[in-house]
Amino acid sequence: MEYVYSVLILIGINIIMASSFNLIIGFGGLISIAHPIFFALAGYCSAIVAMKSGVPIPLAIVLGTLFSTALSVALSLPSLRVSGDYLLIASIGFQLGFVEVIKNIEFAGAASGLTGIPPLFTGPLRSPAFVVTILALAALVVWLVHRMTHGNYGRAIQAMRDDEECFSSLGRNAMAIKCAIFAVGSGLAGLAGALYAHYSQFLSPEQFGIIQSGLILTMVVVGGMGTTAGPVVGALLLTALPQAITFVNLPTSIMAPLQGMIYTGLVLIFLYVKPSGLMGKRARE
Amino acid sequence: MFDAQVLLQIGWTSVATSTYYVLFAVAFALTLKVARVWNFAQAGVMGLAFYAMYVAMLRWEWPHWFGFLFGLAVAVAASVASEAWGYGVLRRRRSHGLLMFIFAIVVAEFVAYFLSLVFGTEPQSLQKSLVSDVYMVGGIVITLWDLKALAITAIACAGLWAFLRYSRQGQFMHAVADNGELAELYGISANRAYVVAMALAACLVSVGIYLYGTRASMIPTGPLEIILLAVIATILGGIGSLVGAGIAAVFLSLLQSSSILVIPSQWQSSLTYLVLFVVILFFPTGLRVPGWLGKKR
Repeated sequence: MEYVYSVLILIGINIIMASSFNLIIGFGGLISIAHPIFFALAGYCSAIVAMKSGVPIPLAIVLGTLFSTALSVALSLPSLRVSGDYLLIASIGFQLGFVEVIKNIEFAGAASGLTGIPPLFTGPLRSPAFVVTILALAALVVWLVHRMTHGNYGRAIQAMRDDEECFSSLGRNAMAIKCAIFAVGSGLAGLAGALYAHYSQFLSPEQFGIIQSGLILTMVVVGGMGTTAGPVVGALLLTALPQAITFVNLPTSIMAPLQGMIYTGLVLIFLYVKPSGLMGKRARE
Repeated sequence: MFDAQVLLQIGWTSVATSTYYVLFAVAFALTLKVARVWNFAQAGVMGLAFYAMYVAMLRWEWPHWFGFLFGLAVAVAASVASEAWGYGVLRRRRSHGLLMFIFAIVVAEFVAYFLSLVFGTEPQSLQKSLVSDVYMVGGIVITLWDLKALAITAIACAGLWAFLRYSRQGQFMHAVADNGELAELYGISANRAYVVAMALAACLVSVGIYLYGTRASMIPTGPLEIILLAVIATILGGIGSLVGAGIAAVFLSLLQSSSILVIPSQWQSSLTYLVLFVVILFFPTGLRVPGWLGKKR
């Protein structure tokens, strides 16, 4: 049963990550792949605050989320001056640079990782409590993204994404919308990161590299970029399906690359067969 | 610490080490210039070329030349295949640039996973011993590898320059890079130019990875990190400038090596990413000679 709980928790975390990433890349058209680093920043911040200052864990999670939101705003102001491919490559530089920084910070555990993070829930009902909390938050995040991207503000976001020059010529502030999308998306990734830190009780810089960016991107692409349900379906499928090969009892040296090949292979298949993803409309292709 | 001898040694070693970075950067810049793709899949080509050479040279014990040619053939085949069945298909569908980028990154990751599965994650090199003959010139240590690497890189770059400057296909590639649609109106095949660019890039990458593998060891995910330096050099040198990319690669190598004098060694790799971030934000079109300096009197 514990195994099922852990898969459900991972599904919830991945739904939050994929939905928030979809807000930035799918709805906002901001091609940044540094999403896992905001997950990491909030996770580390929440964990260190809880460990060093004894702040209650729910408050530490809120602080971690706010920290990653604030940092994303600080980053977005200079970064969003450039767009398209340049923004993407700037985000790679930021992400890998930050991973290197974390690897060298002693109080964050350096390269060997941060251990002994206090859990959010304890006792016999720890895992079910985590499942309920994380799945409820995942549903809330999906609803929030849906609300944000539909209605008047949603239409403004799509107009900005489709033709920024035309949007600006109508007197609308494209930069403000970009910053808002980036901040909300990164903040939600931070929420997932803080929750994950207090669930797994261990964080390591290796968990936030380009491979993780590829994984979240896969969930969004396979599910359907720019749709509300797509990232949910993508996260569900791509978290649950690779679990099947864990029953084969292969050694880690084979299991890890095999899972990676399944993820990347699926993206390649979808890029050819159905680039709009499982939930995407044909017209969007 | 800032002794002239030390600085000269660091300078020499950086220039020698930059040889393979120059080749990777020029290859990356070439595909960006002609095919207009940020070819991160080049990391996959690098990995395939390296492990093909590794198998041929160390497992099958082929002579180095044959091993190199085997790696080259694998790299060219992989690179041309990525154009024919990857970028070409997406281009014909007029896919969004993001899909092209996702394709490139995912191919590179797929190859890295595949190589990890087949060869494991232990570092491997192309020679049983990486020790090279050493000469002392004016108090500076110069290895035989340094001299060979400089000569090979110079020949490879000169060959590319001659091909682009004097061959008919090279001139077609210039035309496609300038204006693909107009070039096609004149009967030039843009698709052929893209394929040739990919094949040439694969040749440069093969030479580069051979030099790398005879000096250092490689892991399957190594090319994903190496390619970033090629990206930085391409942007820093000015997109569209192969010479600029090569010079920027030498500059980055010098910067990385000399930084050891002022910052602790563990922060050296962070410096590369900092440069990438700063360059993109503040010099997105690269560092060029200011107009007033470049004007002819």
